[in-house]
Amino acid sequence: MRSLARAALSAFRVSMRLRVISPWAYLNWLVFPVLFAAVGLYVLSTPGAASSHVVYGVLGGGLIGYWSVAYLDGGNGIQDERWNGTLEQIFATPTPLWVILLGKICGGLLFGLLAFLPTAAFAYFGFHAVLPALDAGRFVISLGVLTLSFFCIALTLTPLFALWRWAFSMLNGFELGVYVLCGFMFPVAILAPWAQGVAGVLGPTWAVRALYASTLSEGPHDYASWWLATIGLSLAYLAGAYFLYSLVERRARMSGQLAMV
Amino acid sequence: MATQPAIEARELRKTYTTTRGVFRRERVERAALRGVDLKIAPGELFGLLGPNGAGKTTMVKIFTTLLLPTSGSALVLGLDAVKEQWALRKRIGFVFGGERGLYWRLSGLDNLRYFADLYRIPPAVSRRRIPELLERLGLLGRERDRVELYSRGMKQRLHLARGLLNDPDVLFLDEPTIGLDPVGARELRLIVRELADAGKTVFLTTHYMFEADAICDRIAVIRDGAIVAEGTPSSIKTLVQDQGIVEFEVVGMPVERLAGLRSLPGVTSVAISEHELAQVVTVHCARPAEVMTQLGVILDGIRLEKVSSREPTLEDAYVQLIGDSR
Amino acid sequence: MKRLVLEGQVFVRSTYLQYVALFQWANPQGYVAYKVLLPVTQILFFVELGVYATGRQNALYFALGNALQLTANAGIFGVIATVANERQYGTLPILLASPANRLVTFLSRAFVNVIDGIATVVIGLAVVVVIFGLNLQHANLLLLALCVVVISLTTAGLGLMFGSIGLVMRDAIIIANIVYYLLLIVCGINFPVSRLPGAVQVLSFALPLTRGVQAARDAAAGASLGQVGGLLAGELLVGLSWALAGYLLFRLLENWARRGGLQEAY
Repeated sequence: MRSLARAALSAFRVSMRLRVISPWAYLNWLVFPVLFAAVGLYVLSTPGAASSHVVYGVLGGGLIGYWSVAYLDGGNGIQDERWNGTLEQIFATPTPLWVILLGKICGGLLFGLLAFLPTAAFAYFGFHAVLPALDAGRFVISLGVLTLSFFCIALTLTPLFALWRWAFSMLNGFELGVYVLCGFMFPVAILAPWAQGVAGVLGPTWAVRALYASTLSEGPHDYASWWLATIGLSLAYLAGAYFLYSLVERRARMSGQLAMV
Repeated sequence: MATQPAIEARELRKTYTTTRGVFRRERVERAALRGVDLKIAPGELFGLLGPNGAGKTTMVKIFTTLLLPTSGSALVLGLDAVKEQWALRKRIGFVFGGERGLYWRLSGLDNLRYFADLYRIPPAVSRRRIPELLERLGLLGRERDRVELYSRGMKQRLHLARGLLNDPDVLFLDEPTIGLDPVGARELRLIVRELADAGKTVFLTTHYMFEADAICDRIAVIRDGAIVAEGTPSSIKTLVQDQGIVEFEVVGMPVERLAGLRSLPGVTSVAISEHELAQVVTVHCARPAEVMTQLGVILDGIRLEKVSSREPTLEDAYVQLIGDSR
Repeated sequence: MKRLVLEGQVFVRSTYLQYVALFQWANPQGYVAYKVLLPVTQILFFVELGVYATGRQNALYFALGNALQLTANAGIFGVIATVANERQYGTLPILLASPANRLVTFLSRAFVNVIDGIATVVIGLAVVVVIFGLNLQHANLLLLALCVVVISLTTAGLGLMFGSIGLVMRDAIIIANIVYYLLLIVCGINFPVSRLPGAVQVLSFALPLTRGVQAARDAAAGASLGQVGGLLAGELLVGLSWALAGYLLFRLLENWARRGGLQEAY
């Protein structure tokens, strides 16, 4: 057990070190979030728009960056390992794949949280935008719940990426769709009813709703049920992940496709 | 074999199924292993020879738990490579040839530390073992440089160090010298031989004959997923024992004098061809050295020129074994 | 005559490389992901954002702007992929050693990508028009189509610049990524350029898209060619300037490489 924890910690450390020296990582936590925040802040602060909209600009870029890093870490991480020929090497060690990915994903989450810094700074200095009615306690809990959901999604999706490369392309192509459905930069309530239905089964949607509610005085503040919705959905993903990992273990050994480039 | 074999394959088969085409999916089956039986004793340095695509890598991947066989069984150290993979992975090491499989942007030391943790080696052990391995493989002093700055030979030695991190009882090496320059390849062969001498079982695949001849205790030749020959390098060579050659030139020799040569043991044929004034005599035989010593006796008084001889090589045996499949 | 045949050969080879770059997806899923899913979700995201901030009546404003910005997807990334292929297949030295007209060779790199850009806009716009029920009854559709063609050309002009940079910088794709998203901010795609700081506005008018998107919005509101002719001419001029700058950089690199100063270009 202790050796497994050490393996996860080592994977965490290596993923952090690789990220520190990769220009793409900076693109994902620093550059893209700020660019999205800029568009968001300009559009949401259009003269005549409701002032409460601006919080979506303040936090939206950060949320986008956080999500991108968190899940890209699973996807790109696996793709990189495949290209490097290390995917097969780590697969053949006595450490189960999920333990290694656990460490890597935690690295991604920590790095992803950084995205809130430049975006919030940009909002503050560029637009003097702040969070008017911040309920710090509930904000932090909501962020924690959101982190749990990102963690569970990343852990669930990554084995898919190991097995099916096209799954990663598809999710990459759909990335802005995820921003829409999870309500990163505007409320899900404005979407068509069917889209709201789809959004409802995505874990982050509810935590994001709680996060924004904790910065606004108006509107419903049904935190408990939102948090529970996210936690419940996340645990359901984890249950799916359990089966996926055994499937990956079997399928990968059946076809030997981990070595493919 | 009295003791339990270190590596054993029984009726090992592997068939790859792939699908082709986008709209009309077509299933294509390709047999990589067609019922392989193999036993390798502990401490043996075993070489698997074969052309590309013969099934060498497939076999290594099955033994290293990376691939499931279609049928048959693969046992390493008495453990089933299919079902007991977790216990087995701790006790084996493997190295695939080529430069991939390392984190190029990390240092050699970081690579080793990372894999030491993934192999779940207690920190106290890895702190001692990593410097030992660095020293033994000649990487000491460069361990803090990024791997991308290493030469190919260094990368390959780092691979080997990684494969030895868990002090494995059995080591699998899949074409470890591929792409290395002659000096680097020889260094690596020496290290591998030392490992075997130190008691490790080594399973080596290669398509370099001299490599197998030079270091392996026993070899098998694989062709189209089936073992076609197995034994010590010298016993394999006996398959082509009539392919030794003694050749010399004489001037104005009566043909009858060659009768004595024909009656020597091991000689399969004696041919003579006219070459301007001289005659060139070619003797096919099992033991060229013996024929050479007899030449002076049988052809007493005749001046021999340009005498040459060639022992049958493993390559001759290999080409004969593999040749007709090409 | 021989000259013409030679130019033709170069053009065909270059077009082939662009085609390979465009369809190098290992499977149809990749193509769907990056050529259909990505553009459509990108437009949807920004249209929903705009609708939330300013109301449903402005959906067309955001739809047009973001659909036209997608030409940069084909123009910039397409040209970079073509150059990357030239490197991979080692055709660049052959091209440089040939007596073919440099300008033709250079411009031909963007041919397929311009067509791809037009296709991307049409697909993206069609999907959004259907989903949001946009009304184009008053639009001058022919003029709108002309705007689409012009913008595809001008963003490809910017792409040619990045193609030249890509010859010396392996990570040019990172810069291209930044510029791609920067266009969303500075070119009046999602909000009027006038809201930007003065210094940034200078950049806005030095980039493609800014004038073209304005012209397209006017065309969608029923303007005639005479009314937007100036904007389109300006747009073309900007695109041509970028292409020319890219060409000059290309020639500079070529000379540099011939003197042995630049090994990485190959």
